[in-house]
Amino acid sequence: MEQIQYHIKCRKGEVNRAVLLPGDPGRADYIAENFFTNPRKVAANREFRIYNGEFEGEPIAVCSTGIGCMSSAVAIEELANIGCQYFIRVGTAGSLQAEVKPGEIVIATGAVRGDGASREYIDPSYPAVADFSAVNALRRRAEKEGRPYHLGIIRSHDAFYMESPFAFGDFRKRIQLWVEAGVLAIENESSTLFVVGSLRKVQVGSILVIAGSLISGEEAEYERIKGSVDLAIKIAAGALVDLLKGESEK
Amino acid sequence: MKKAHHLQVACGEVGEFVILPGDPGRCEHIARHFEEPRLVASSREFVTYTGKHKGFSVSVVSTGMGCPSAAIALEELITLGAKHFVRLGTTGALKKDLKIGEIVIANSAVRTDGTSLEYIPMEFPAIADIDVTNALCEASRKKGIRTHIGTIWSHDAFYKGSVFADPDFLERERWLIDAGILSVENESSALFVISYLRKVKTGTILTVVANHHTREVLVDEERLLPIFDLMTEICLEAFEKLNTAKRG
Repeated sequence: MEQIQYHIKCRKGEVNRAVLLPGDPGRADYIAENFFTNPRKVAANREFRIYNGEFEGEPIAVCSTGIGCMSSAVAIEELANIGCQYFIRVGTAGSLQAEVKPGEIVIATGAVRGDGASREYIDPSYPAVADFSAVNALRRRAEKEGRPYHLGIIRSHDAFYMESPFAFGDFRKRIQLWVEAGVLAIENESSTLFVVGSLRKVQVGSILVIAGSLISGEEAEYERIKGSVDLAIKIAAGALVDLLKGESEK
Repeated sequence: MKKAHHLQVACGEVGEFVILPGDPGRCEHIARHFEEPRLVASSREFVTYTGKHKGFSVSVVSTGMGCPSAAIALEELITLGAKHFVRLGTTGALKKDLKIGEIVIANSAVRTDGTSLEYIPMEFPAIADIDVTNALCEASRKKGIRTHIGTIWSHDAFYKGSVFADPDFLERERWLIDAGILSVENESSALFVISYLRKVKTGTILTVVANHHTREVLVDEERLLPIFDLMTEICLEAFEKLNTAKRG
């Protein structure tokens, strides 16, 4: 019997090889119930809720990571240990640019490594870069949906209440450097997922829906961005299908 | 008309698409692939030729070795209106199975150079433009050339990290080999970082001229020139595709 993974409580072969990674455990339920054919719950421990299912007839999975790079690294490490190969983070982010508006979609090419977890893995000079084929797959699916998207570098960091519309004091001063650098949006998981993905030789992409703006201070009601989140999930799941199919063509 | 400080080139004298070799001595050879190439300027390590390809204007500008001069070339070319760049150069393999003469397309770089750090903290990723990278990959595929796509290492001290470095070099840089870094060179990190900040598109194509594990080095210019010809053709084909996409 293969060893059970410490936190996610799954064994080799139990989770399909292409995995959606939302942050919120509730969103894992939502994805399985609304987007998977024949969803099966595999495990649920701590913030890691895992389902298998089919999308467009291909076997995929979803596993929530919880908020932050610390638990995200645990999730991707343990999923890689049991044979998972393709990962798309699907989540929400705050905008750092005036032209990136709530409800719009961002596909990340890479991330500023403002987190602590990825630094334990490797020097910060190493780039947190999204997998090339995963980015291309996400772009193709977004284009197929006829949905415009922003493409570029995002910032991942650890302390939500330092850099968010809810932060104390002058949070705009703290993010000014990244705004001027043209960083599109800010969230809490992609940098470590990209770095650990590259080091573990698994493929990781990230697609985000803008939930609020650190520039305008606007925070969108969930109902207003729900349609975009649904579309991002569809694009992400479609990209996983394409990555699996690309593999069989090789 | 005021000329760019170091390049000694004026507005209108370079194309929107620019090939960036390190070595000034390679510019003339690369420019032979252009239609109607002309020498625009030769100042310090910056040699500029401009010509045409399939009706649009292209240039080749040498950057000199290292990120300090590469950053100057890029910054001045941007002020002159250039928008798409491909660094075309040589690299030393850190990955064991990369062979002399093979082609590396860098989608990102480890940035231990000093120049890009003056621009923005190290945690900002040095990433190649994905449209340029896709165009280079596609052009290579069309020519039936096998390429290696991945992360490279850009650094400043050649004699601390090359086949000519001390024998402890590989042990010292074990972390890069363990991380699966393909190869090492001296310019791409700053080019990638500055390009993102300045909103222009830059990619990198390199040929392997040394392998750090076998300590094999290619110095035979006769063998190197056809590879530079091939990489130049790949660049021009990529530019053509990017130019069409831009208009489309």
